[in-house]
Amino acid sequence: MGKRSFLQNILLALAVGIVLFFCLFPFVQILSTSLKHQFDWGNPSLIPIKINLNAYRELLGLGKKDDVAIPDSIKRLLDNPLLTEEKKNEIISKYKSTSDVFPFPRYFLNTFLLSASAASISLILAVFGAYSFSRLRFKGRSTIQRSILFVYMVGGVMLMVPLYQMSVKAGLAKTVWGSLLSLLLIYIIQTLPVSLYMLGNYFRTIPYSLEEAAATDGCSRIQAIFIIILPLSIPMLITVFIYCFIIAWNEFLFASVFLKQFHDFHTLPLALQSLFVSKNAIWDRIMSASMLTLIPVIFCFMFVMRNLTGGLAEGGVKE
Amino acid sequence: MASVELRNINKSFGSEQVLHDINLEVKEEEFVVLVGPSGCGKSTTLRLIAGLEDVTKGEVIINNEVVNLIEPQHRNIAMVFQNYALYPHKNVRENIIFGLKRAKAPKDLINRRLERVSKMLELQDLLERKPAQLSGGQRQRVAMGRAIARDADLFLFDEPLSNLDAKLRHQMRTEIRRIHREYKTTSIYVTHDQVEAMTLGDRVVVMRDGHIEQQGSPMEIYLKPNNIFIATFIGAPSMNILDATIFPEFVDLEGQKLILKNMFSEDSISLPKEGKKIKLGLRPDFFLDENFVSKDASLTTIRNAHIDIIEPLGFDKEFHVQVGSQTLKARLDLRTTAKEGEKINLCFDMERAHFFDVETEKSL
Repeated sequence: MGKRSFLQNILLALAVGIVLFFCLFPFVQILSTSLKHQFDWGNPSLIPIKINLNAYRELLGLGKKDDVAIPDSIKRLLDNPLLTEEKKNEIISKYKSTSDVFPFPRYFLNTFLLSASAASISLILAVFGAYSFSRLRFKGRSTIQRSILFVYMVGGVMLMVPLYQMSVKAGLAKTVWGSLLSLLLIYIIQTLPVSLYMLGNYFRTIPYSLEEAAATDGCSRIQAIFIIILPLSIPMLITVFIYCFIIAWNEFLFASVFLKQFHDFHTLPLALQSLFVSKNAIWDRIMSASMLTLIPVIFCFMFVMRNLTGGLAEGGVKE
Repeated sequence: MASVELRNINKSFGSEQVLHDINLEVKEEEFVVLVGPSGCGKSTTLRLIAGLEDVTKGEVIINNEVVNLIEPQHRNIAMVFQNYALYPHKNVRENIIFGLKRAKAPKDLINRRLERVSKMLELQDLLERKPAQLSGGQRQRVAMGRAIARDADLFLFDEPLSNLDAKLRHQMRTEIRRIHREYKTTSIYVTHDQVEAMTLGDRVVVMRDGHIEQQGSPMEIYLKPNNIFIATFIGAPSMNILDATIFPEFVDLEGQKLILKNMFSEDSISLPKEGKKIKLGLRPDFFLDENFVSKDASLTTIRNAHIDIIEPLGFDKEFHVQVGSQTLKARLDLRTTAKEGEKINLCFDMERAHFFDVETEKSL
């Protein structure tokens, strides 16, 4: 390999720059808009003239409550003596009502709990599935292993209707918990194939003789998995968990069908979508909600990157 | 201490049979070495005893109990693996006491063992290190320590020294011998290195192609090999196998008569008058330079051997010589001053010669 020339370096940097721009620009745009005041929205510059944190405050419930100003025109209207007291209150309550405030923390918690449970269950199932695929010899192993990928053969849109019908027929769709359970199952099934592959391939890199040593040292197979294999797989376990978590966190399609009627149990992607079409569709609020939805994902990715350096199993055996 | 018996063991992987009717008995406190070229089934045999593989047919018996269906963790054996198989996420101390902890041994016993083992194997300063921070020899010692820290009935060694350099290998060989003398634990040791087999074993079992070819004490195997395979496999440098013709009184090697003195009594083998083609086995170590042999010694002499190459080894020199159209190796001590290209007369005691059938390669 020769050294790169100056020109080649420039071209490389340019190419990297273009890719980075495409990846990062939307995020920067979101961040920028979420921090702008209304008068600033039309400004093409990414840097806000004046930082506005109100949207974040409001979403996180940090702002002053009941501070909805009644416009002057309405005030004048209220001064009209012809208006009955009843009518007046109705108008005022419309402005003071908090029902249209976007309950971000609630949606955040919904999404977090759903994603975390889906990821945990998927991970537990994947550990045992992947172990048996990578270590045990049984009839039809490779057939089963391959047929798991059927899950990805058909797109979600096509499965959506039959799955919902199934859950209706099973009597799950009519209650909140039934719907959540259906959704949970779907997320687990959607993430399991990749989890199985990731973990299975990782287990194969752990020398089998470690388990044999554990067996002669008095461990059963299950004990060997928990005492030897899993501690050595921690980076991959974390990676798989986060992968499943992010998939569930961002999922919109199935959530939109199964949770449509249960407003209190909306997940963030669903809630963001309704925010777009509600009367609260204000740019800074939409963008800050998006930003807050993104943050856990970004943290997850950073965590995975740090853990993926791997190499835990090194040193135990002579290659 | 355990005794081990293998009864008519057969093992197949799929359609390929790797062990054929293996019968082997290992007595209590015995150190048995399974030796053979790679692929001969010696490691498989060991793994069957450990329970890491299932027997296809036959019985594995430990302490007079058939253990075919008993899982490895319940056989109370300790195994040292070729690749060490140390637990990478545990430090040296945890590796060594792992088995004891699994067996829920009392704390003070664990501490006593740890101290004893680490002292014996000079691991005291390494106890807090992870395997990745150890050299090959140190890892090997930890693997050994892990095995002996437990109260195992049986030690199984699967080529434990093959990843070490020559000097360390020698050192660890001595170590293993010392450990066995001290603990007296029944041991089965697998190796492809005939030197390890000779030096370590109370008994050596030579295997080839899934069969036991011969077993006996190291010296029995060395002095009375059953066939050419064993004769050339055991002993370094390996035995010279030469084409020759045998007559009742002498052996004809490339036209030279090597006199036999009543070695074959009438009933042993009948030799035709016109002689019988055989393979003649002569150990390189048993040759002597004619110049340093007293005249009255009753030795046969191979004359005018042409010296091709001399490899000085210190005390010995290995001579590659040409006798007629055949090449043979002779190991002579440093007094011999003959140079490459010269001729030499080599003496040999024909009572130490081996005669093998040309067809069956079996000892006659």
